[in-house]
Amino acid sequence: MGILGKLKKLGHGETGVRDFSVQTLRFWKFLENARALMELAADGREKVAGEYIFDRHYVVSLIDSVVDRLGMMVYDAGVLVPEKGASLYAAHDRLKQAARHLITGPVESAGDAEDPEYKLLADALQWFDDPAAPPEKTVTALMKKAFLDVMQGRVGAGAAKMTSLFDSGNLRATDMDIYLVDLWRDPLTLPVRKRSVAGFNSIPLRHLLMDVRREKTADTGGAAPGKTAWVAAVDEYHLSLNRLGPGPCFRLEALASGYEPSDFIFVYTDRPGLLETLLPRGLHVEAAAQGRIAWSLDMSASAIEKSLAAMGREIFDEGLWAGE
Amino acid sequence: MAGTLEVLLLDDEPIVGRRLKPALDKIGCNVEGFEDPGAAVARIDEKQFDVVVTDIRMEGMDGIQVLEHVQRRWPGTRVILITGYAKMDLAREAMGKGVFDFIAKPFRPDDLRRIILRAAEDMGVFLDTDPDGDAPADQ
Repeated sequence: MGILGKLKKLGHGETGVRDFSVQTLRFWKFLENARALMELAADGREKVAGEYIFDRHYVVSLIDSVVDRLGMMVYDAGVLVPEKGASLYAAHDRLKQAARHLITGPVESAGDAEDPEYKLLADALQWFDDPAAPPEKTVTALMKKAFLDVMQGRVGAGAAKMTSLFDSGNLRATDMDIYLVDLWRDPLTLPVRKRSVAGFNSIPLRHLLMDVRREKTADTGGAAPGKTAWVAAVDEYHLSLNRLGPGPCFRLEALASGYEPSDFIFVYTDRPGLLETLLPRGLHVEAAAQGRIAWSLDMSASAIEKSLAAMGREIFDEGLWAGE
Repeated sequence: MAGTLEVLLLDDEPIVGRRLKPALDKIGCNVEGFEDPGAAVARIDEKQFDVVVTDIRMEGMDGIQVLEHVQRRWPGTRVILITGYAKMDLAREAMGKGVFDFIAKPFRPDDLRRIILRAAEDMGVFLDTDPDGDAPADQ
């Protein structure tokens, strides 16, 4: 059983840290589903452009898989920001109906030169992503909305309160101004004493802090006055880093398992211009009025390591956050 | 000099015949395409083909039945199965019955051409592997 299943089984009486951990794990599921959707679309694009022989069954399966994965993503979003659930489910239903129409409707104007299967796949890819389509008419638009809803919901979920939550649980590191949550242990039993960053076995955390200077922190209270507070929730291959307190929201997610097809970096911030100075090359960026999302696809293990190290140097430079 | 191969192509999805026939013609195959298994089997009764390429799942008669029919009538004919569902149970059943090879949709015409070239070699026929400079690339 995964840690998410284990934590859910514990049921009521959860601590704030357990709740935080469940939300972090649920967000990873949300990212996994988003990634699967992008891979499905990439597979369809490869087939439609590459002289493939496929039948209608392939296209119908692709559409069904997209509907299913999108449903999972919407479910995850509904758990993370319940107040957005109804509108996301309604948008998912509309896309599901459009998918049924694609599958059962007549194939329009498939000329002699175009096979109906290719036409259906091209239509399905347009249903997935068409920049000219009205908002929420495409899968991509709903994914983007779900991302922004989730990120804004989390910002509004009392980030300022979190500092006191982590202070009360011995989660502040002894050698750096950061709170650390071991996702396999801390939600079940909080640590009896504070721990050092160096003692954590997390590959992406190690990459992130590779070039960051560490020094003994004051033994009382929380983050040093005037300094940005951070919380990193980790396991061996995952990292979820959040900026706490007032000021801009910043969130970094990374999976660095060494299995390149599934490893990724994801970044969100609502501070304008920040990603431009911070992001390594090779990340895709989606901008919206509410914030910016960036993510990697097909990054090598060494590129992920270098990118995390470069971002770590910037993120933990207090000059970056001065005046916030 | 390059030889030729008599190929029967059976798939109830028209796209398969439409896209595969020109690709196989290029390497020296004389291709007869069918969408109806009954008509294909009737043709098999009349003529010995070197290779039969058939979809597994079709209305009326499935690819395994076509395979069995070919083997009764022309034991030397190589049968290649196309499947949209790469299911291990079907693959095991067909391999046990002596199918030459499998190919799972979606695939590229080149992928099937490679299998056909192997089947030709197996029969001692050497096809034109580079008819106009666009022979199947090595994997």
